[in-house]
Amino acid sequence: MSTPLLEVTDLSVSFGSDNGRETVLNRVSFSISRGETVVLVGESGSGKSLSAMSIVRLLPHAARIDSGSILLNGQDLFKLSERQMRNVRGASVGMVFQEPQSSLNPVMTVGAQIAESVRRHQGIRGKRLTGRVCELMDAVGINEPYEKSRQYPHEFSGGMKQRVMIAIALAANPELLIADEPTTALDVTIQAQVLELLKAIQAKQNMGMLFITHDLAVARQIADRIVVLKEGQVVETGTNEVFYKAPSHPYSKALFDAIPSWDKRLREGLAPSLDVRATLLTVEKLRVWFPVRSGLFEKKIPPNKAVDGVDLEIHEGETLALVGESGSGKTTLSKAVLQLLRPTAGSVHYADKDLCQIDSRQLRSIRSDLQIVFQDPYSSMNPRMLISDIIKEGMNAQNVGDSIKDRDDRAAHLMEQVGLEVGHLKRYPHEFSGGQRQRICIARALAVEPKVLICDEPTSALDVSVQAQILRLLRELQDNLGLTYLFVTHNIGVVAYMAHRVAVMYRGQIVENGNVQQVLQSPEHEYTRTLLHAVPRLDNNS
Amino acid sequence: MELVILKTDALFFILIASLLAYIFYASKKEHLARPWRSVLKKPMAASALTILAFYLTVAILDSIHFHPEIEGTSSDTPVYSSQVVSLLDEVLKPINKNTETTYSAPFAIYSYSKESQESDTGQIIRDYPRLIHAGSHLSGISEVRSDLIMRSLSALGYWIFAMAILCLILISLRVVKLKLMVADWLNLSTFFRPSPAQAAVITFAAVCLSISLVATVGPYYHILGTDKVGNDVLFQGIKGIRTGLLIGTLTTLIMLPFAVVLGVAAGYFRGWVDDAIQYLYTTLSSIPGVLLIAAAALMLEVFMTNNAGDFESVTARADLRFLCLCLILGVTAWTGLCRYLRAETLKLKESNYIEASRAFGVLSWSTISQHVLPNLMHIVMISIVLDFSGLVLAEAALTYIDIGVDPSMESWGNMINGARLELAREPVVWWSLFTAFLFMFVLVLAANVFGDSVRDAFDPRIRELD
Repeated sequence: MSTPLLEVTDLSVSFGSDNGRETVLNRVSFSISRGETVVLVGESGSGKSLSAMSIVRLLPHAARIDSGSILLNGQDLFKLSERQMRNVRGASVGMVFQEPQSSLNPVMTVGAQIAESVRRHQGIRGKRLTGRVCELMDAVGINEPYEKSRQYPHEFSGGMKQRVMIAIALAANPELLIADEPTTALDVTIQAQVLELLKAIQAKQNMGMLFITHDLAVARQIADRIVVLKEGQVVETGTNEVFYKAPSHPYSKALFDAIPSWDKRLREGLAPSLDVRATLLTVEKLRVWFPVRSGLFEKKIPPNKAVDGVDLEIHEGETLALVGESGSGKTTLSKAVLQLLRPTAGSVHYADKDLCQIDSRQLRSIRSDLQIVFQDPYSSMNPRMLISDIIKEGMNAQNVGDSIKDRDDRAAHLMEQVGLEVGHLKRYPHEFSGGQRQRICIARALAVEPKVLICDEPTSALDVSVQAQILRLLRELQDNLGLTYLFVTHNIGVVAYMAHRVAVMYRGQIVENGNVQQVLQSPEHEYTRTLLHAVPRLDNNS
Repeated sequence: MELVILKTDALFFILIASLLAYIFYASKKEHLARPWRSVLKKPMAASALTILAFYLTVAILDSIHFHPEIEGTSSDTPVYSSQVVSLLDEVLKPINKNTETTYSAPFAIYSYSKESQESDTGQIIRDYPRLIHAGSHLSGISEVRSDLIMRSLSALGYWIFAMAILCLILISLRVVKLKLMVADWLNLSTFFRPSPAQAAVITFAAVCLSISLVATVGPYYHILGTDKVGNDVLFQGIKGIRTGLLIGTLTTLIMLPFAVVLGVAAGYFRGWVDDAIQYLYTTLSSIPGVLLIAAAALMLEVFMTNNAGDFESVTARADLRFLCLCLILGVTAWTGLCRYLRAETLKLKESNYIEASRAFGVLSWSTISQHVLPNLMHIVMISIVLDFSGLVLAEAALTYIDIGVDPSMESWGNMINGARLELAREPVVWWSLFTAFLFMFVLVLAANVFGDSVRDAFDPRIRELD
């Protein structure tokens, strides 16, 4: 075999000041050949993004490369000057980042941003430049490239923006493409398209690709070889076939175990479905329409119909999963049910009352029965309050508990229930990890003894192993306390693992509703079928 | 002595008390203590804080007013003069009591302007007379230099002695270790990169040295000259500290409630409340501030003239005028902060934890005080510290156009105002302007340096990796 395109040998990187350095990459080695895709898999903090940044020498100021070498086509990248490195970036190595929303300059047209890269590395101008930009946009599958190139990023959807990012990365025909979690922020159908695009481009240009992800199913789709990183060290490498059939390292096995799926559910003994129970919450013809104001004269534009005539029933003690992609209206629906957003029309019946009609005082007394756990554990708690105050806030508002001492006791008990130490009550949110913060948010919601808990994508921002723990906690709490969940998510694996019934939402309407086994195995609606088909599978190459 | 509490004194002491209360409160709360500790870790900030502490001490001394007792009366009960005097006046008596007749240059022993005098031969000549008090212990101008050197050396001696005593006290109280201190100070490189404690100590020592010099040389010379009526200019500069400091702090005290309440209400409640408050502050900020202040000052003049009997002394009148100036400055200055707080509240309102609050059915008032206000405090803090210097400078500008503090009250603005004509004289009378400039510059510089550190420590966006 000829020399590999990229060879990383014994790379060690550390962070810190003179007082103490922390090693974040410890003798990491891997190589990529032309035309090959190597996927770096790991959880947050494993050092996968840092490895990519080291290749292009864009590490943060506080980081230091302690040892190791990176050879690109036999040339040691660490020995180059900054000026020489600038020629390498973009021309030899292209990068695609995770967040398309924030990686594009909002005040420059898309065409101008692609042209920036072309001009820098290929030196062409004028009409030839425009031609090349259109050629690139065509190659990434954007229709009407000339018109689109004169539009601004905010006029593009997430998937389109990521295609633009790929076009920028490809502008100078690089030999190596580094993609750092390019599909994590995208919907599953768009993700499938972007992965297909990347594979096609790689084949056509015979590039080497370094793909970084935390999702093993995504890795299965495009990898030739897999490298597993844990806390800055390579714990396992293997070809696609071998790795997925039989992972050898215990950490890799743990990663596979943590992925939520139907099989995992059966393994852990959760019943596939629930017997018919009493109906707790009924949503009828719910509408949440947002008026759209436009122009100087306020032309009549049809309103943004976020939720457009939704009917739902939630039964006691069950988990109803609400599935949909971004923009489908599932978060709006969950907030409208809780009356955090006032619905435009329709009704929400709970305990013989219509929540949309009752006055605020009655609503306040019912509030303790309906609670919510939010998606982002990092912003859902007041950073300036102690955990004990955060948990007791609801208790104080709803007069749960007889005295201050009683509330303190309850808070301590809740901490134990969610698996945290009672001694940590007098700490601030920033002292906890993401998974621990989500447990605190669950404890906060449980403090007022709710009957229905709306979980708005509670594990999307967490690593897969932490997600497994939180999901197991939620299941245990449901068994012990008899809770009812409305579980909003876009992850089909989580639905298969947690839910008894599932409702699929598309553009503000429920398109399919039924038992989870039935919907997942024999979907009726076209959209559900498309959705399920796009989900990357672990067992075969699709 | 009979204690007199002026209105501004009372407000000032309330402010000091709330500052102490805040320090006590912040030391308990981790999320407040940590940024403040990082502020004090910077040597520049520690140095600036030392200087501000000195200014504050002077202002506090100057805020304790009383009627002095008249000596030598025959009655049994003490009789008090109607003059209002402050503790600072007592401390600076050696400098203050020596008034001349007219201008005199710094360290001069001759007056600035010529007078008709009788010469030895009996003729009337016009010549520069000797000053009444300054340099009166000398026989001729040739002795000035050696006299000054002697006095400076003795000042240095007192200073070294005082510093040594202080070190001994600190060592005996186990605050500082002798070995560490000697090692630190012998290592010259510390002077280029001092630790915060060292920076503070160096500043403290420097200020003590200047105090020592002023104390030894001041009673015998006018260090910064005299003004038109012969008052010592250095004394006026020091007295102006209270005015400048109080303008900054009292105005902030008055401005804060308006800005916080209206800003948060506009951002949180939206709807017609937001519209009304926006109209209010847009209108207010469109009116030139100077016009508002001028109008208010003139109305106050009319009020005081009509009710002359209510004011027992010139000091009380001057004090009321000062208080009203602070009030009107506060009422016109809240718009900027209000706008900023409204924007921040709008942003905070979308946070998940406030939504969680609503899901609990927490009342609006509780949500605001528990969730919104603590997350706004950093903006308020930054705003206070940065606006402070602007207000001190504003006072000077306002006095310049005669709508500032009463002329009987010592302030830097008054000194600069007087300098208008003084600079036109030949030879130039520069020392009043110089003194006012010096004191104001040091205060504003210290406040700005400190303010920068506070902003860096509290702004969540700039905060360094912990």
